[in-house]
Amino acid sequence: MAALLASAGSPAQEARTAGGTIRGSVEVRRAPGSSEGRPAVAELGHHGPRDTPDRRRSVVYLETAPQAAFEAPAPGRAVLDQKNEAFVPYVLAVTVGSTVDFPNSDRVYHNVFSLSKPRQFDLGRYPKGQSRSVRFDQPGVVRVFCEIHSHMNAFILVFAHRYFATTDAEGRYRIEGVPPGTYALAVWNDGQVRARREVRVAAPGDVAEQDFTVE
Amino acid sequence: MPKVRSIVAVAATALGVCLAAAGARAGEPVSLLGGRVRLGGEVSGTIAPHDLGWFNYSDYQVSSLRLFRVDLAAEARLASFASVLFDVRSDNLAAPRVYALYLRLRPWAGRELDLQVGLVPPVFGAYPRRRYAYENPLPSVPLAYQYLTNLREDAVPSRSEELVARRGRGWRVRYPVGSSEAGPGLPLVNSQKWDTGVQLRLGREPLSLALAVTQGTLCYPLTRDQNDGKQVSARLAWTPSPSLAAGLSGASGEFLAREVQDVLPAGAQGTYRQKAAGLDLQWSHGYWIVRAEAVWSRWNLPALEATRIEEPLDALGFFAEARYKIRPGLYAAARAERLGFSEIPSAAGLRTWDAPVTRVEAGAGFSPWRYVLVKASWQHNWRDGGAVRENDLVAGQVVLWF
Repeated sequence: MAALLASAGSPAQEARTAGGTIRGSVEVRRAPGSSEGRPAVAELGHHGPRDTPDRRRSVVYLETAPQAAFEAPAPGRAVLDQKNEAFVPYVLAVTVGSTVDFPNSDRVYHNVFSLSKPRQFDLGRYPKGQSRSVRFDQPGVVRVFCEIHSHMNAFILVFAHRYFATTDAEGRYRIEGVPPGTYALAVWNDGQVRARREVRVAAPGDVAEQDFTVE
Repeated sequence: MPKVRSIVAVAATALGVCLAAAGARAGEPVSLLGGRVRLGGEVSGTIAPHDLGWFNYSDYQVSSLRLFRVDLAAEARLASFASVLFDVRSDNLAAPRVYALYLRLRPWAGRELDLQVGLVPPVFGAYPRRRYAYENPLPSVPLAYQYLTNLREDAVPSRSEELVARRGRGWRVRYPVGSSEAGPGLPLVNSQKWDTGVQLRLGREPLSLALAVTQGTLCYPLTRDQNDGKQVSARLAWTPSPSLAAGLSGASGEFLAREVQDVLPAGAQGTYRQKAAGLDLQWSHGYWIVRAEAVWSRWNLPALEATRIEEPLDALGFFAEARYKIRPGLYAAARAERLGFSEIPSAAGLRTWDAPVTRVEAGAGFSPWRYVLVKASWQHNWRDGGAVRENDLVAGQVVLWF
């Protein structure tokens, strides 16, 4: 997966001018994995209310991107909140060089960490209202956990290019500025690449439609 | 029958390892029946040289530093207000035993009141609810929750000299009244077994209160009552801020088995209790966690022959531990502790009824992956009695959990 996010392919046609659009939807039919933690056998009662992460959100991206996309990736800033004992959003997609803020919006401590190869970090424990930041300089998949709450986990997908999009609540996505060419389009959901399709952007201004169903 | 038990133990171990591997690979607990049933577990292996002073034994045959443990837990959600929780464990490939099995109820939605019935987690103290090895920064178990004193629940000394003669020999003691077989002594609090009964928790942060009525006692938890006595225990928890948690615990229960009481002379018939009080503190911030616990326990024994044991037998265990994260996946930890005993009169004068023990332990833990934890530690023990009065142990532990 990390290699896929980083690969610089050779599309049939490259263009540095304003490109076309790839859009569509991702229908997730597979049952989402459990959002609960380990059996709380040693607890003295039920746990408090917690949010359920939206595990139907997907990331759609070009597995091979135009070479130009790698010359000047646009680093950005994103937020992965900790709210009601859940990471929000469950999946975050950023470009290499981006910084992600991890605010704590709960009244309890959290301890965000990752042991993923592209970026290992441990932010320690900090209270509500405080935030810590991490810069991601290597492409790949970074799995994020809370040391205190084992049910809390999230994904950060770090891309070496800018041709990706996260689906909205209805499962729609839209990747803009794609130079004309033929590309391998992949959909990632809940930890895995679930589907791949070939898609062609014929000319600048062209709109290529591609829908996915994830079983 | 032993062959069948071995087969069951090996099968359970294999199942545990497979589930642990599957869970670790998936990065989350194994979920069945649409999430209504969740499985979690842990496989841990701990290795150390022979502990010739028996400092780390929690049973005559089981040392916490020479232990291969498979632990499987399940939670079945029956309704939004009811769950059944289950935990089974096998130590050193022995036949699996049920560690927890209880019904958890929240009768009124929105009210912070929980009821648990069955083989329930202890309310006393804080350490016993750190059930998994990955929640313990060091391989060993604190003395107050593991170390075997020279008291037994099924046999008692007839005079204080017999008790004092067994100072520092709690792993295997024999007394003339009650069971005639040699056996392991009692810890202040047995964290290796849970007790059976009813438990109630009410309140919400920053204050909550947990109460329990159970069959056994802190030092000898039971599935079936052995003396018609019940233990009442409680813990008041206070969490004034996310960084600080404190608890005040108490317990009182009849610990002496009926088989001992039945052979006592008429004048010594009575109720022999374990009473205990505890204080636990946890402070955490940034890369630090600091914990401290004190457990005081008092037992009453029948006063039979001179020199008679008329004074209650007190013990006080205390530990403080700290963990600091050096980098992602790597931490250093240390624990210092002391277990002391009250003095009683004997023919040789005033002596502590068991030999005081002091322990320091320092080590580190490393997680190459989230679901794997490797620990290493060095431990030094001092004891004012027994055949081995001092020893050093180096231990290693590997934990795979999901």
